[in-house]
Amino acid sequence: MALDFDRSILGTEFDHSVHPAVRQTDIDAYAATVGETVAAPGLAPPTYVVSLRTRHFLPPNMPNLGQVGFDAGKDIDFGVPIRVGDTLTSSSTIHDIYEKTGRSGSMRFIVLRTVVTNQRSEQVAVIDQKMMFR
Amino acid sequence: MILDLHTHSEASEDSRAPVETYLKWLTRKRDVLPVDGIVLTEHRQWNPNADYRELEDQYGFLILRGAEVETDYGHILLYGVNDAIAQRFDFANVRLNAQEVVSEVARLGGIAVPCHPGRPTIGLCEHYATKPPLEGVVAIEALNGGSRKGENERVQELIDRYHYRSFGGSDSHLVSFVGICATEFDHDIRNGDDLVRALLTGGYRPVDFRDRLRQGT
Repeated sequence: MALDFDRSILGTEFDHSVHPAVRQTDIDAYAATVGETVAAPGLAPPTYVVSLRTRHFLPPNMPNLGQVGFDAGKDIDFGVPIRVGDTLTSSSTIHDIYEKTGRSGSMRFIVLRTVVTNQRSEQVAVIDQKMMFR
Repeated sequence: MILDLHTHSEASEDSRAPVETYLKWLTRKRDVLPVDGIVLTEHRQWNPNADYRELEDQYGFLILRGAEVETDYGHILLYGVNDAIAQRFDFANVRLNAQEVVSEVARLGGIAVPCHPGRPTIGLCEHYATKPPLEGVVAIEALNGGSRKGENERVQELIDRYHYRSFGGSDSHLVSFVGICATEFDHDIRNGDDLVRALLTGGYRPVDFRDRLRQGT
């Protein structure tokens, strides 16, 4: 058997957050923190999306995947640019849960997918955040 | 004919390599990576609908498909995967019974061969130290491009003791790793059935192009 869990949790939204309108000061602070270059006034670096704080990072019905977990990286598909004044909305789901084995033994992964849209319902980014547990 | 028998594309969760980009890279590096084709061995999955014939025609490389599954004796490459094999096993199960995989895949027309045998935890060497050898194994991946120092060297003992045939693969997860290790066949391989036959009957050997690639000659 593959990793046993209730597969109905896949694709179910566990967080829906509407974020405050983007300000130039937010963009400047983000850029200064990560050493990014602001290409043009009013335009955020694409990776600005990772600075958004959702209300729930993990789903309440999170299956028990292990005692220890850590960030295993993220994939981001970028959409339209983020501009000052945009109101961004994020919707998060569990995209996948799987198990694999490597040199160090068995590992379990959860992929949290967050879709970010702007006030025009244009897709800003799709973020797949991986967490590894064992 | 030279084939890289162990590659992962972006269909595997830990690879970022598009198949077409592999082919572009091999075209560009043809003078140092004389590979005629690749076998996509995605982790823990089999997609019956994947079709790379257009890319084969466009770039002139053979593209075959297999799988890398995970068992109680480590990771095993499957070639000649067909509907019967895909239905027989849950490829996502990381605790497949290796003996069942080897025996059943052979019965259903494919071949199952352990990969990176010298790797800790997921290689055959470590499991053979504590468990009886698998029956029906005809070849092992003696040369793996993703192995760390000493891991490929551990494999020779298995080859000497069990008289396994040896083959090579890059285990590439990144574009620039494709083709660095491969397998040279005495005869042409045109499809998955040819590959299974060749691996069963012999007439092949691992080839290592890493020095050539480094020297750029």
